[in-house]
Parts: sequence; C-alpha cells; structure tokens
Amino acid sequence: MAAKGTHLIVRLTGVILLAAVGSLLVGRPLAIKRQEGRIRTTLLAVQEALQRYHVSEEIYPKKMMTGHELVRFLAESEFIKRELPNPWTGDPYFSESSHDWLRYRTNSTAETYELVVTYPDSEEVQFRLDSTDHQSLE
Amino acid sequence: MAILLAVAWLIRSHHERSRVQGDWPITVSEVKVFLPDTHRLKVDPGPRAGLSVLNASGEKIGYAVRTMPDSREITGYSGPTDVLVVFDAEDKGIGVAIRHSYDTPSHVEDVSRDFLFMEKWNGRLWDEIAAITDLKAANIYGVSGATRTSEAVGLSITHRLAVAEGRETVSRPFSFGLRDFILIGFFLVGCLFAFWKAPGWQRWRWIYSLLTILGLGFWMGDLIAQSLLVGWVESRVPWEATPGLVLLVLASFVLPLLSGQPVYCQFICPHGNLQRWALKVLPARMKMIIPEDGKWIGRLVPVMLLLVVLAASFLQLDLDLAGLEAFDAYLIKSAGLATILVAVIGLVLSLFFPMAYCKYGCPTGWLLEFVRRNYGTARFSGRDWVGLVILAVALVLYRIPPSWYLG
Repeated sequence: MAAKGTHLIVRLTGVILLAAVGSLLVGRPLAIKRQEGRIRTTLLAVQEALQRYHVSEEIYPKKMMTGHELVRFLAESEFIKRELPNPWTGDPYFSESSHDWLRYRTNSTAETYELVVTYPDSEEVQFRLDSTDHQSLE
Repeated sequence: MAILLAVAWLIRSHHERSRVQGDWPITVSEVKVFLPDTHRLKVDPGPRAGLSVLNASGEKIGYAVRTMPDSREITGYSGPTDVLVVFDAEDKGIGVAIRHSYDTPSHVEDVSRDFLFMEKWNGRLWDEIAAITDLKAANIYGVSGATRTSEAVGLSITHRLAVAEGRETVSRPFSFGLRDFILIGFFLVGCLFAFWKAPGWQRWRWIYSLLTILGLGFWMGDLIAQSLLVGWVESRVPWEATPGLVLLVLASFVLPLLSGQPVYCQFICPHGNLQRWALKVLPARMKMIIPEDGKWIGRLVPVMLLLVVLAASFLQLDLDLAGLEAFDAYLIKSAGLATILVAVIGLVLSLFFPMAYCKYGCPTGWLLEFVRRNYGTARFSGRDWVGLVILAVALVLYRIPPSWYLG
C-alpha cells in the first residue's frame, strides 16, 4: 500500500514538473505576444490623437518626446484620454515611468510624425508607425 | 488517425480564420448593418479570402471582406483605411463601411458621412468593382475636402477585390526532381527492410542506416518534424514543389496504420538510426534501466511537447518548433542552439538508456506510434485517452477568442 502511495507521489511530481516545463515553454512567448498587443493598442490610440492634433493645429507637435511626455501633451489638450495605460506597466501613461520605450519625433517643419517603439533597454525597433513609410501596423 | 485528422482540421481552420480576419476580425454586428438576417460568418479559405454571411438556417445570404491588410499600401493623406465591403447573395455590393483608419480623422469622418460616395458601390457586381482602375471613369468621384482619403478608400476597395481575382490565377508548376527521387528511394528501400525479412537482404541494413544519417539527415535535412507538419497544416501541403517529401510524410503515417509497421521510425529516421549506432558504443554492462515510474513519466514528455506545439500554433506564438525536436540539428549550418542541444542530449542519453529520445522525447514519433498502436485493436487504450485529451485541448484553443489570451 505504502509502495503504491510512493509510486503515485513520484508520478504526480513528474506530471507537475512536466506541466511546469510546458508552461515555461509557452509562458514567455505568450507574455511577449500580450505585451505586443498592448503596445499596438497604445500606438493606435496615440496615432489617432496625433492626427486629431494635426487637424486642429495643422502641424504635429514640434518637440521630440517620450511616450509619457507625448501622452501628457495630447491629454492636456484633450486629444487623448488621460487614463490611457502605459503598455509596459499597466499604470496610466499620463504618470511618468522609467518603463517607456515609445519615442515620438517629427521633421523640421513638423509636417510628419514618427512613433517608434524599441525593445526594452535596446535600440532595436519593435514597432514603427509614421506618416511616410510605415503607415499601418498590419 | 481520426483524432489526428480532427486536430489538423482545427489548426487549419483556425489559421484560415486568422489569415482572412487578420488583426481586426469582422464581427456579425458590423455585417448586420447591411444584412440584418446575418447570424454567422463563415471563413472562406478560397482566393477571395473573405467571409460567407449565413442566416439562422445556415443559408448563404451574402459575402463580406475587409480591405486591410491587402490594401495597406494605398494611403490617403496620412495612412491607409480598413473598409468593410458587403455583397448580397448575387455578388452585388450592398454596402461599404469604414472600420478603422490611420488617415486624418476629420477626413475619414467626412468620407464616412458622404452617402453619395459610400453608396456608389451598391448594386455593382464583385467583378465589376474589381475591374475598376479609374474611379472617375466608373462614375465614382472623390469627396470634396477629403479627396485623397476618399480616393484611397475607393482604390482600397477595388484593389482588395482585384487582388482576390488575381489569386485565382496563381499557378504552381509541378516539379519532380532528383531530390524527390532520392526521398522516394529512401522510403522504398526502408519498406523493403521493414517487410522483406530475408537474412541475405537484412545484413545490408547497416549500410542503409548510415546512408539515411548521412544522406537523408546531414545532406538533405528532410526529416519529418513538428515544424514541418504544423507548417503544412497551417498553410498548405506543397505537393507540387516537394512531391517526394509529401509522399514520404503521407506514407509514413498511412503505412503504420495499414500494416502495423513503424517504417519511418524504425528504419528511415536518421536520428533513430543514429541512436541505434549509439547503442553499440558502450558495453551492455554500462547500460542503465529506467524505473517503471520514470518510464511512465518519460512517456508523457512527447505529449507535453505536443501540447506546447498546439499552443504555439493556435496562439500564434513566436516559438520555434524546430527547437523542441532534434531533427533540425541535421541542418548544421542553420540549426539553432535549442535543436542542437536536444539532439546532443538525446544522443548522450541513448548511450546509457537505449533509444531514450525515441521513447521519451520525440513528439513526431509519438504521433506515428499513435497511428500504429490502434491498428487491429478494438480496445480503447491509454494512448487513445491521451489522444482525446489532445483533441480536447485543440478544441478549447480553437474556441477561445484572441482577446482572452491577449488581454
């Protein structure tokens, strides 16, 4: 009886270990995909707000800005909702955070925009949305 | 086999759905605006790559397509626009609607409110719209104040439909080359070793075994693997481009089902043959025996890997399936670290535990064995239950909407 119990415990431990390995294999790419989804949603909201700003002011914002700075700038003029979450932290993007890999820039006449998302702590571009060459995320 | 086919169908259907629907799936409520009897949208895997619109009794009452991503290069003032185009059962346009746009919002609003422009498509046949190259010549004029946006919307529609027409004429020439002959040769000789047991013939098996490792493995790299099978199921079987490989895969699944002989695993697989050679490296006294509990757990490893493969496929995860198996390690120049590690560790283990990788690590081998085991038996085995679990997981993954796992 005791031996049967031992077998059961060993096998159950094995199954739990295998489940953990399987979860590890799937978990990381799934987390990356979820993160990408959040970034895309944020980018679309920011891009639409930029377009609304452009319609109103006839130029894009002139300064280079981080994602947080851009969202705050657009939210202050009510082109975007203040509650828009930071895709890396889930907190409102309006508040400053060191986890912010979105960068905005424009040309010298502020007639174009470029939104670039890099991988955290890297210069490698993950997403690029601009008014010239990369006009959609699809 | 029926379970495997059902899982393959689910993967296929899921990927067709994702391909047609893209990042912004068309919903029933969007189509209902034009076809109030819409009950369900059915993915059309054909060249039109749209959605058949069905009513409550399952009759086709129309067809719907979106212009993105096919028309993403067609931009207005500042970006492309995703347009929904709905046709009735006679293929006549009955409505278009702007779904999402990267263009200037005020211009997009102007276009969507201009009924004269938006209704210009109504009553025109699919072919008729697809043939339009000059909007003005077709009596479709831009919206004043939003000319470029409206023209982009119009051209997105015509381009999307024209692309679908073009897809119908894509030709794929059939090619049967030396590589295909060699693959079929390997398979036929493997069958001879499997079914013709004459000692005079069997004594040459070691040469065949070496040839599979060097030729099929290191030279051609044509091993049956999850990455290959899943890729084919997700997109299509390239029978006209690699007929030899397709026949090898097909026969490797069908033969064990019909004859009960695991021809591929036991005779053809280069990694299996390499493990057989590894058997001979160490003397018998150095071999180890795995305890029963260890065997029981080990047999679940391929099942766990198959579930990971299913999750990666359905959730479209950025997970290289080649890294879960040893087979891509034979393509030395392009092999990733993961597949090399799996191959090397599997081989080292095989030195001590005979055929360890085949028995306790190979998901593809598990599939081939799954097909074979049920041959001629009416009894429902443990493997069948595992198969049902795999099917159940596939069904769950098929049913859950992307928003569930993407947050």
